[in-house]
Amino acid sequence: MKFRDMIAMSLSNLFHRRVRTVLTVMGVVIGTCAIIVMLSLGFGMRQSMEDMMKSMGDLTVVTVYGGGGSRGSGNLDDKALKNMQKLPNVTAITPVYYLDPSCVTVSCRKYQFSAMVYGVAMDTLKTFGFQAESGNLPGSDFKKTDILFGSESGYDFMDPKRQNDGMMDRTPDKNGNMPKPFVDLEKDKFTLSVNLPEDSTARKKDVKLNVLGVLAQDYSKNPNPSDCIFMDIDYAKELKAKYNKLNNVKSSESQDSYSQIVIKMDSIEAVPDAVQQITDLGYQSYSMESQRDAMEKQLRTIQMILGGLGAISLLVAALGITNTMVMSIYERTREIGIMKVLGCIVWNIRAMFLVEAGTIGFLGGAAGIGISYGISALLNSLAAKAATSGQEGGIFGMGGNISIIPLWLVFASLVFSTMVGLISGILPANRAMKISALTAIKQE
Amino acid sequence: MDMISIRDIRKVYHIGTEKVVALGRISLSVAQGEICCILGTSGSGKSTLLNVMAGLERPSRGSVIIGGTDVTKYSEKQWALFRQKNIGFIFQSYNLLPTMTAVENVALPLAFRGVAKELRTGKAVKMLRAVRLGDRLLHRPTQMSGGQQQRVGIARAFVARPKLIFADEPTGNLDSKTGQEVMDLMVAMARKYGETLIIVTHDPEIAKYAERIITIHDGCKVSDESNPAAAGKKEEPES
Repeated sequence: MKFRDMIAMSLSNLFHRRVRTVLTVMGVVIGTCAIIVMLSLGFGMRQSMEDMMKSMGDLTVVTVYGGGGSRGSGNLDDKALKNMQKLPNVTAITPVYYLDPSCVTVSCRKYQFSAMVYGVAMDTLKTFGFQAESGNLPGSDFKKTDILFGSESGYDFMDPKRQNDGMMDRTPDKNGNMPKPFVDLEKDKFTLSVNLPEDSTARKKDVKLNVLGVLAQDYSKNPNPSDCIFMDIDYAKELKAKYNKLNNVKSSESQDSYSQIVIKMDSIEAVPDAVQQITDLGYQSYSMESQRDAMEKQLRTIQMILGGLGAISLLVAALGITNTMVMSIYERTREIGIMKVLGCIVWNIRAMFLVEAGTIGFLGGAAGIGISYGISALLNSLAAKAATSGQEGGIFGMGGNISIIPLWLVFASLVFSTMVGLISGILPANRAMKISALTAIKQE
Repeated sequence: MDMISIRDIRKVYHIGTEKVVALGRISLSVAQGEICCILGTSGSGKSTLLNVMAGLERPSRGSVIIGGTDVTKYSEKQWALFRQKNIGFIFQSYNLLPTMTAVENVALPLAFRGVAKELRTGKAVKMLRAVRLGDRLLHRPTQMSGGQQQRVGIARAFVARPKLIFADEPTGNLDSKTGQEVMDLMVAMARKYGETLIIVTHDPEIAKYAERIITIHDGCKVSDESNPAAAGKKEEPES
């Protein structure tokens, strides 16, 4: 018997019992929908998690903490830096040196800077992905006195003589415009001086600072470029040494060490290895990647539970297919007998039943995919509405699509539902095959 | 030449601990082109004999040779393939597939043989015209009378031009007038195409159509005689 004729006969059988076929197919549709929609919610959650992660930090960056024992982490000195520079797959590395605000004064006219000063490897900023709001990021040929302001640094300049209202209020006015800070970061001139003891008679020496630019706000970066000044790390250390000398402060190991070392790896895959090696060196580190890994494990569990719920309904649908096919065999016993007597080989009969069951699965899968797209679009539009009306997106968060159907899922569910149909058909098909031609044709 | 020959066929059923002998050592042979009737009352074992000859039941002992081939030990699949090519069936209750049209029903044995759709539809239409159902091609069995359905059954048995056609009580469900028409048609077709036809019946009136009448009683052959009245009508086969 030709395969084409077999298919035609199977389809015509399904068509002649169309009510039952449609009902059985609907079972598969519901099952497929349940699986696809549940999984798509999982994918939506994963997507929003990844978006959130991206906004929170660079996944290829590892931050190593110093902190001399209190965190159980080793001291971050130059030796540690050298060790970490030797790690494989490192794209850029910078120590972060925190210059105590009591050591230096950065001033502009009568206003003084009152926030953080970080010493960093200025030439690595570009690699770490810092952006300049105005001006330029330094290349490798920066000068010692080159500095970068954080995006909000203008507001950190205050009048030291006015204790209460010396600080500029940063709340926007009625029109949503931010008030102007006291200083203009781009146009004003800034100087730096090392603080002297209060009883000192020595003259304060002002050093002119060269402002390269203002960094753009980016919460994913470490250190966060908002209320701060970035300067060359060697200069920062030099200033500290000068302060120590002028104020007769003895330098201590913990004060001179770096507060953290930030490392950028060339790929996300290199991060877990690097974290492991840093731990082996005796330092504590933090990376978005390790956070992501933990969250992803959790997500996978959620997704499996969701998919499992869907799978249960598909299982019920599979039982429906088997039931329909078994019923069909009872009705068609005589027909099968006639076909056998007329010389239809049993393999053909079995194949015909399998084709019928598989077709039910396939049709159910195809319709299920279509309906799932509809449900998915509905969920997404509802979520978008909820997000715009100011409500929280709940656990799905972020206001993006809460239901995402990847293309591979479409094909996979089509194949899967067809397989479910075929598997459900095996038992009835074998039964049909075993029907005795003789008893079948005797049946009235 | 013998188209079918069976030797020492014995068939015993085991019902519980009891043995029921349905056929006890029957031998017979039917020549090519012969129209033969197996006559017997109900329970005589004639249906069992037919089933054994068509490979639907296995004999307990003995051998079946069709067209020179010993088919006794054939597997189910071999029998199916053998029936496809060599055996046609006409049933008491027509046994047409209810979901198919007359043409599709007639073309079914050809479909099992893997004949392409256009070719088998053409042959089926030709055969339906031969049984005078040219105007009922696309009717389904439920839209036809018993006589018409049996004519479709006859067309289906002849369409593949098998070596051997079995007719099992072909008029059992028909009134006597329609029964006569069907018998006339069947015998005429068998003669026209030179087919070997074996009719199984309990009705002596039907047996009169055959050239040879074999009577079975309690699983044994009691008589085997030719019927000159029918044999005289024999014409030269067309092809």
